[in-house]
Amino acid sequence: MIVRRIVALAYKEWREILRDRLFFTLAFVVPAALMLVFGYGLTLDVERIPFAVVDQDKSAMSRDYLHRYIDSRYFDYKGDVASEREIEPLLADSRIRLAIVIPPRFQESLMSGRAVAVQTLIDGTFPFRTASSKGYVVAINAAFNSELLGSYISRRLGVSEETAQAMAQPVGVQLRYLYNQEVKSVWSIAAVLMMFVLMITPPFLTALGVVREKENGSIYNIYASTVTRGEFLIGKLTPYAAISVINFLVLWLMATQLFGAPFKGDPLFFFLASVIYVTCTTGIGLLVSLFVRTQVAAMMLTVIVTIVPSVLYSGLLVPIASMAPGAKFEAHLFPAMYYTDIVLGSFLKGVGLEQLWGKVLALLIYAVVLWTASFLMFHKRPKS
Amino acid sequence: MGQAALVDNDAPVVRVQALVKRYRKQMAVDGASFSIGRGEIYGLIGPDGAGKSSLMKAIAGVLSFEGGMLHVLGEKIDSEAAAERVKGRLGFMPQGLGLNLYPELSVEENVDFFAQLRDVPPEELARRKHKLLAMTRLGNFRDRPMKHLSGGMKQKLGLVCTLIHEPELIILDEPTTGVDPVSRRDFWMILTQLLRERDVTALVSTAYMDEAARFHRLSLMFDGRVLIEGEPDVILREVPGTLVELVAESQVEALLRLETRFPQAEAVGPKLRVFVPGAVPQVARAQVEAQLEGLMVNEMQAVAPELEDAFIALLQRRQPAGQDDAQKSRLWLDGDPPKGDGDAIAARELSRDFDHFRAVDRVSFEVRQGEIFGLLGANGAGKTTAIKMLTGILPPTGGAGTVAGADMRHASQAIKERIGYVSQAFSLYQDMTVTENLRLFARIYGVPNSRLAERIGRVVALAGLSGVTTQLVSKLPMGIRQRLALAGALVHGPRVLFLDEPTSGVDPIGRRRFWEILVHLARVEQVAILITTHYMNEAEHCDHLALMHAGRVIADDTPAALKAALQQEAGQVLDIAAEPVLPALEALEQAGFADAAMFGKRIHLLARDITAAEARIRTLFAERGIQLLDIALRTPTLEDVFVYRILQQEQQEASA
Repeated sequence: MIVRRIVALAYKEWREILRDRLFFTLAFVVPAALMLVFGYGLTLDVERIPFAVVDQDKSAMSRDYLHRYIDSRYFDYKGDVASEREIEPLLADSRIRLAIVIPPRFQESLMSGRAVAVQTLIDGTFPFRTASSKGYVVAINAAFNSELLGSYISRRLGVSEETAQAMAQPVGVQLRYLYNQEVKSVWSIAAVLMMFVLMITPPFLTALGVVREKENGSIYNIYASTVTRGEFLIGKLTPYAAISVINFLVLWLMATQLFGAPFKGDPLFFFLASVIYVTCTTGIGLLVSLFVRTQVAAMMLTVIVTIVPSVLYSGLLVPIASMAPGAKFEAHLFPAMYYTDIVLGSFLKGVGLEQLWGKVLALLIYAVVLWTASFLMFHKRPKS
Repeated sequence: MGQAALVDNDAPVVRVQALVKRYRKQMAVDGASFSIGRGEIYGLIGPDGAGKSSLMKAIAGVLSFEGGMLHVLGEKIDSEAAAERVKGRLGFMPQGLGLNLYPELSVEENVDFFAQLRDVPPEELARRKHKLLAMTRLGNFRDRPMKHLSGGMKQKLGLVCTLIHEPELIILDEPTTGVDPVSRRDFWMILTQLLRERDVTALVSTAYMDEAARFHRLSLMFDGRVLIEGEPDVILREVPGTLVELVAESQVEALLRLETRFPQAEAVGPKLRVFVPGAVPQVARAQVEAQLEGLMVNEMQAVAPELEDAFIALLQRRQPAGQDDAQKSRLWLDGDPPKGDGDAIAARELSRDFDHFRAVDRVSFEVRQGEIFGLLGANGAGKTTAIKMLTGILPPTGGAGTVAGADMRHASQAIKERIGYVSQAFSLYQDMTVTENLRLFARIYGVPNSRLAERIGRVVALAGLSGVTTQLVSKLPMGIRQRLALAGALVHGPRVLFLDEPTSGVDPIGRRRFWEILVHLARVEQVAILITTHYMNEAEHCDHLALMHAGRVIADDTPAALKAALQQEAGQVLDIAAEPVLPALEALEQAGFADAAMFGKRIHLLARDITAAEARIRTLFAERGIQLLDIALRTPTLEDVFVYRILQQEQQEASA
């Protein structure tokens, strides 16, 4: 192992990346851009659902009922329409996502103790949003019911409203959200996006960097020289790993400063764990590059082996715990999942090595396996 | 070279024995054997796909192989570890002009990187770098990024990078392909000089037959095999025969008659060339004369055959009568071959700029019907850009032109209908059959359905494709694909044909077949043909030549007139054989013969006054104790012309 040769290789690579416009963009612009686009685009909070109402009763009670929606931050009141027939086109145009129809004699029926059905139309095109909307509707409706019940009890028994409420709802739910007190999805997403971006960009850059040399023949400079396999791999990949570390720092800053995600963990632990992670993802790119000959093929293979696990099997969209057993098993095969836990743990939970050592170890094993496999597969005297 | 001293100096540097290299089922090298002695320049000559690259990579230890034995620098190469042991002592430059260099790095950074890779100590590096960059005239471009170098400069930089660690053996894969003749000559000079100074052995591959004279010994390769191996003269002796050159009236009739008896007859410009195998000159002349009885025959000359003739004879020996009858089908049914009148192509002051770079600079020329016009130049000289403008693909920045009677600036659509165009990478559909491709081209060019079958039949016969009409293009060899591309360009019956480097990478037989068709098209059908090439010997086929350099036409005339002008301006070419040859070259250079250059074992130089020059050389050699074996006059080649013109141009630019 001759350090001078490694330095020569790394320095050459570094200069090439900085001077080649495409590589420079890929190295320093794309990661931050991905973070921006996804950070703002992937917010999963369902708020300000546009809705309209048909109030066929126009009583004090119907107005009270509707105001619970109109005043909510989850709904965005778009106005009254005269009849049910007018709702249809609004929903079809996506101008509203939800409509509430209060039947005639709403107040009269409630007063006389008869049950009333309030028809609620929800746009079902996006199941996730539909489920959330339905949840809000049910909750608002339940609150209205329990208040009705409370005031009825209070009137009948002559007790105060509070007592009546307590009687009507003996068990209440007291919620305390942990780790992400405001339940802001952007906090989690900004953190998890670090996993996503660092899963995709380092392999891309690395695979292209190595395959480019194969494609234009400069790899023969290496093959034909006395540079050893180890020297080449270390020299060639150090710049890519270094760039990924720089990107990691940039993304960390963006997550905390731009998206306002709190960071509660140990920065040093998080930094070191992340260095292991990018070593790991750089290794994925290296391994990909050994299987393909052209840059196009390298790109396609990288997309498949990085985007799929980082989107589906990382906990980015669906929590690992709620996956089917098969999917859960697959998730454990990819490094993305372990790093997601490290990221969330460090950002939101403030936990460190004691709790996360298992995940760090998994990444470490991953990195060692990838690099060893690449080292064994890389030959200076290949078959073709 | 500490290790070199340990090795027996007579032991071969490279010994290849029955080497076999397969890519899956595809055989690349099929039992090649040869050995290279210390200090030799050894050549591998053959068309694309002959197995040269695979063989060279195996020798360089960068490709494993399946069978046979290989010894390099005394080491038996049978594993990656064994290959590693000799890599420090060899240098390898892969194929492709400067492709193995780093485009974003400057000239100096490239050299430095290779040196660091090879553990060259800094002081040593500074010394060698200075010397090599001066030798390659790259010294002034140290800080220029490699991507902004010309083709010739890239090739020289590649050579410098390969030599920076002073290897004992250098392996250069097609270093001269696509490089202008001046750079090619430079390249051979550097190589010769290195040989002179140190004990370097070189293995060099080339697709140019005319470079054979540069090698001490060589292998002719075809289809993975070594057809023949040895010194150029020895190879020529192995294939005895005589080349008869003549001018006959009418050429078409004479060629037809000759072809019936001699498989290797061809028309080269105004001349006919016939290789008469196994015959001494007198017999050969008699045979040819007998064949041409009753025709007007002039300027008959019996000369020694060239290596290409020998190569073709060898190939034909291996696969006899592989010819699918070259039918002389007519291109037009209606019996109206256009009259050979007027200009088919006229370019006037054509220019084209790309950003700040002028690719074509005020180029003017005319091509008449029935004429084969050659546009010669290195990669990047502006040939392709000129063709693209004339075919209406690229609008010119300045100037005017007419093609097939249409103005190229306004009627590009009309031009496209009246011309045929074969591009560098033949635009064929690989997954379709020959007939399907032709039908597609015919429809694209608007051939009516009623005439489709007849038109396709004609071009199939013309291009000799009748045996392969139902085959997929992807399964066809290069030479046949190239003829298919030509057939596709002819299917709508154009009267002007543009061919952009159609013969790159095609084997000599394929090239010769191709030229037969072109000659027929021009002579019989009166089609105007504009062809670009960087094979200098192909240029001899052209009726008229324009030499392009750095976007300009620097000479424009018939091949004969170009050569005559050279002889008038710069003198005759003297061909000298001397012993020992390297000191002889040195002596000549010191005595002021600046353009003396090595051609294999012989030395060429230009001299105005031959008798005086000969006398000077004789006294010079006598003083130095050099034996003069032979001194003779040689007709200049087109390469001599091209080199002279480019150097003249560069001198003018330098003084301006």
